[in-house]
Amino acid sequence: MSEFTIKINGSETKATKDQTILNLLTDSPEQVPHVCYHPSLGPIETCDTCIVKVNGEFVRACSTTLKDGDEIDTNSDEVKEAQVIGMDRILFNHELYCTVCDYNNGGCEVHNTVKEMKINHQSIPFDHKPYEKDNSNPFYRYDPDQCILCGRCVEACQDVQVTETLSIDWERDRPRVIWDKDVPINESSCVSCGHCSTVCPCNAMMEKGMEGEAGYMTGINRETLRPMIEITKSVETGYGSILAISDMEAAMREQKIKKTKTVCTYCGVGCSFDVWTKGRKILKVDPQIEAPANGISTCIKGKFGWDFVNSEERLTKPLIRDGDSFREASWDEAYNLIASKFTEIKEQYGSQALTFISSSKCTNEESYLMQKLARGVIGTNNIDNCSRYCQTPATMGLFRTVGHGGDSGTIKDIEKSELVIVIGSNTSESHPVLATRVKRSHKLHNQKLIVADLRKHEMADRADMFIQPRAGSDLVWLSAVTKYILDQGWADYDFLQKHVNGLDTFNENLEKFTLDYAEKATGLSQDTLIQLAETISQSKSVCVLWAMGVTQHMGGSDTSTAISNMLLVTGNYGRPGVGSYPLRGHNNVQGASDFGSMPDRLPSYERVADVKVRSKYEQAWGVKIPEEPGLNNHEMVQGIHDGNVKAMYLKGEDMGIVDSNINHVHAAYKKLDFFVVQDLFLTRTAQFADVVLPASPSLEKEGTFTNTERRIQRLYQVMEPLGDSKPDWEIIRDIANRLGAGWDYTHPSDIMAEAAQLAPLFAGVSYERLEGYKSLQWPVAEDGTDTPILFTDGFPFEDKKARLYPVDWTEPKEFGEEYDIHVNNGRLLEHFHEGNMTYQSKGITSKTPNTFLEVSHELAKERGLKDGTLVRLSSPYGSVKVQCLITDRVKGKEVYLPMNDSGEAAINLLTSSYSDKDTDTPAYKETSAKLEILKEEGVNPLPKTNFRYGNPQPQVGVGVEKKWARKDYIFPGDVVEKEREQHG
Amino acid sequence: MAKAIKNIHKLSLSEEEKRSNDLREVEDALIENKAAILQTLEIMNHMQDKGLLALLNGLFGQGDKVLNIAVKAIDKPENTNTLKNLLLLLGTLGIINVKQLEPFLLKINAGIARVADYKDTEEKTSYFDLVRSLKDPEINKAITILMQFLKGMGQDTEPYEKTTQDTPEKRVNQTKDKTLE
Repeated sequence: MSEFTIKINGSETKATKDQTILNLLTDSPEQVPHVCYHPSLGPIETCDTCIVKVNGEFVRACSTTLKDGDEIDTNSDEVKEAQVIGMDRILFNHELYCTVCDYNNGGCEVHNTVKEMKINHQSIPFDHKPYEKDNSNPFYRYDPDQCILCGRCVEACQDVQVTETLSIDWERDRPRVIWDKDVPINESSCVSCGHCSTVCPCNAMMEKGMEGEAGYMTGINRETLRPMIEITKSVETGYGSILAISDMEAAMREQKIKKTKTVCTYCGVGCSFDVWTKGRKILKVDPQIEAPANGISTCIKGKFGWDFVNSEERLTKPLIRDGDSFREASWDEAYNLIASKFTEIKEQYGSQALTFISSSKCTNEESYLMQKLARGVIGTNNIDNCSRYCQTPATMGLFRTVGHGGDSGTIKDIEKSELVIVIGSNTSESHPVLATRVKRSHKLHNQKLIVADLRKHEMADRADMFIQPRAGSDLVWLSAVTKYILDQGWADYDFLQKHVNGLDTFNENLEKFTLDYAEKATGLSQDTLIQLAETISQSKSVCVLWAMGVTQHMGGSDTSTAISNMLLVTGNYGRPGVGSYPLRGHNNVQGASDFGSMPDRLPSYERVADVKVRSKYEQAWGVKIPEEPGLNNHEMVQGIHDGNVKAMYLKGEDMGIVDSNINHVHAAYKKLDFFVVQDLFLTRTAQFADVVLPASPSLEKEGTFTNTERRIQRLYQVMEPLGDSKPDWEIIRDIANRLGAGWDYTHPSDIMAEAAQLAPLFAGVSYERLEGYKSLQWPVAEDGTDTPILFTDGFPFEDKKARLYPVDWTEPKEFGEEYDIHVNNGRLLEHFHEGNMTYQSKGITSKTPNTFLEVSHELAKERGLKDGTLVRLSSPYGSVKVQCLITDRVKGKEVYLPMNDSGEAAINLLTSSYSDKDTDTPAYKETSAKLEILKEEGVNPLPKTNFRYGNPQPQVGVGVEKKWARKDYIFPGDVVEKEREQHG
Repeated sequence: MAKAIKNIHKLSLSEEEKRSNDLREVEDALIENKAAILQTLEIMNHMQDKGLLALLNGLFGQGDKVLNIAVKAIDKPENTNTLKNLLLLLGTLGIINVKQLEPFLLKINAGIARVADYKDTEEKTSYFDLVRSLKDPEINKAITILMQFLKGMGQDTEPYEKTTQDTPEKRVNQTKDKTLE
């Protein structure tokens, strides 16, 4: 970066190319005021308060970059005058009643700038705008009267979240923010991600949880509030004293509002943010710029989906099965019963009759303890977690080829990649915040986007190239494209030679994947395949993102391997902006496996079968660990049916809904001698239990989560556990101690300290190094050096070289000709999984009250289906009843059944027990069914207030040029110059 | 053979048990905060004596109504003006330098005392007397002080005013002079 010298108010200082004046001045004592500028949004240029003079010209400091020799004036009278004019125009749009404003919490940028500029009165008085408040959305509201038209919300909606709903209508007499083509918020395409309320510098766009709650005097009745505002205004002797009082009041609020950093408990993106609480009441979720994965971003669930924490349905006491019902019991009684039953079963049938299932919603520490309980106390490797249902095949594919089972880089690498390929992932709904980075780079920075999917979801809509290969045929086109690249000599031979083994055998195996063969198998034309090969090989950096559309097949591990092979052949590993990204589904899918809740691996993925590894743990724990790998989830269910498994201890997983072929799973539960389930609610799974233990969710405990980037982040306790519920780690510890373990952990940091000593990947992980918003991406060396980008020093094999791993296509399962409807399934943006947590949110439930079956126009026409028609889908394994929604997101005889139902429409009533041949991950995506109409007429299952009906209005930014083009707009610099001329 | 069940029999405490649990909790709190509670009781006794408790009871009991009435009463021009004047006066008091004012006030006091003695005097002062009295050191000193005072009064103090609307230029001055701090 080239440095040069400039002058600020006469004194010399250094600046760098491409640096803006505002940027330079934030680190200097010569500050300029600013309101619309936000570090995460960049210059918006609407507020005109940061005006300075450069070489005698008035310019906006936020958007002007520096040149060698520039002379900047930030404090002459003219400059100050111009800035004041900018601020005056803001105050014309915004009434200062700070003390009775819910946004007066020290962070209001209008308040702070008025104070900083020492403005005492306004020369243009405030004037109401002729619009009502929009209260229609359940989560936030817009008050046009307070809106300063800075456009931050529009910038965030258009260019960060890229839902493209908000704009400012600059054409009106009094401009305002509008949704879509000016409809109420709740009838627009708004996905309630919360970006707008997060970035709003004042109280115009505000979370409803804050209203009437934040201040000491903000809860006052409306009819009293208005005269109070009038009084404050009419007695004011200048803003100075008003601001002093409101500052005092803001300081007092610190006493009653608690702000705690936590990590989101929904998907694997790993958003972190502050939660504002008053007792158990959640006022708002406040994302921070320094949050490493998400910055200011959130989705509807992370920003607004926390009602479940205070739900009436939460379990608050242990439950013990007593005949035909549960009865509440004391912890003592529950613990004693568990201890005696576990001991009894172990004595009678041996340790292998007991099984343990850990949760990907729980913390790393809890995963570690659960496997330690299984291995170190009971003496079995029968421990697994729910990544078995999603991403274990991806981990397998990566182990085979590159040696580490995690994303190659960070979300920032995805953001800056030249080409992003999304395969079998509905990213904008399943990993919303991560998707925003792709959408932004694609919209603004020429990133290319290829999407391979059955459904035409949002990412597909935006893609430069959208391909729809036949279901389950991804391995074929990936292999054919890889072969074509090699055949054309487009591969990265330098990379292959230096860093990769096995090219010859791999080449031989590729022989069969000709374009001709691929065309027949996938339905993609040869031209398309060639175009894919060209685009991929011509791009300097490629990231592949994939999810359940790849892994939940009988050849899921193989397809994941094929992706990694393709990346190796094109040299897309081991540097910024490239690599493989198997997007992790739950908040801690990555961590649950990382910390050893796997039947064949100890923490850090060290093999149970390895005697050296075992002896390390045996020494540390003072026990004997069985050398035989244990059962995975799938085998456990089979084991129950076979009579070998007698007991199960399962936490934080509604396996009875999310496992495939649930009729089969339920039948197994019924056969268990003893079943312990630990959860927040009496889930479908818990209904089969003998003992149900009330656990605490993330907001009620401490610990760490590891996101899809391998990033370990700390969560802090926001509130006390509800009722007698307890954090999972305490429960596991107590059970272990009842069984004579003698564990003395008093805080999750004790557990992490132990794990860090034993597991090489986490050697340098400690709670101190993770304080606040700090994070570490594994592997973490003992000195605390972490690894944002993997493989920069070679691959973790003995010769540091990656391996091309030949794979063949496993054709997807057909259920037979009568089952002619292909049933795709997956998530929705607004509900998490089966919906145990998200249905507790009234707001979410009002917008999406139930699941629905997406049906194509073709199928609707053929079978006479309408919105609301009730149908039955039947597979050989069971049937569901669900209402139809006709949409162009699906085509032909492919339907989509979102998984947010735990009743008659639960998708896993249809799915089979077929699974990935290498990892036993259920082949959820290989499901077909026959369809019959039960009731032709019905109410549309998706309310009109759902964002899917919206009508987005894409544009770049806020369109400030339209503001400047208004007849009544004069640049403050020009106003000042004109005045000076007149006065000579 | 455990089938799925949803019924939960809540662990119901008898009225008696609940009561004794609650009492125990209150008792614990009392003991933990003994000193503070005893003192609070004393304060409350005083408040009871002065009728303050009844007043507060009425105020809190009808909080919204009372506040509404109060706010509406205040929200009248004459009342808001009183508040405004009070705030202005408070602000003005803040800028008076009492240390400098004290000797001046003492002198005024002495003057007043003297005037009080002479209040009904028949004595008259001619021009000549006036000029001659300049030689009187006490009178000369008083005149000198008054002249200085008049000079100060003539200075421009507009930027320090809080009650007038300001123009951008004036704000610039305020900002530069830091008169708002």
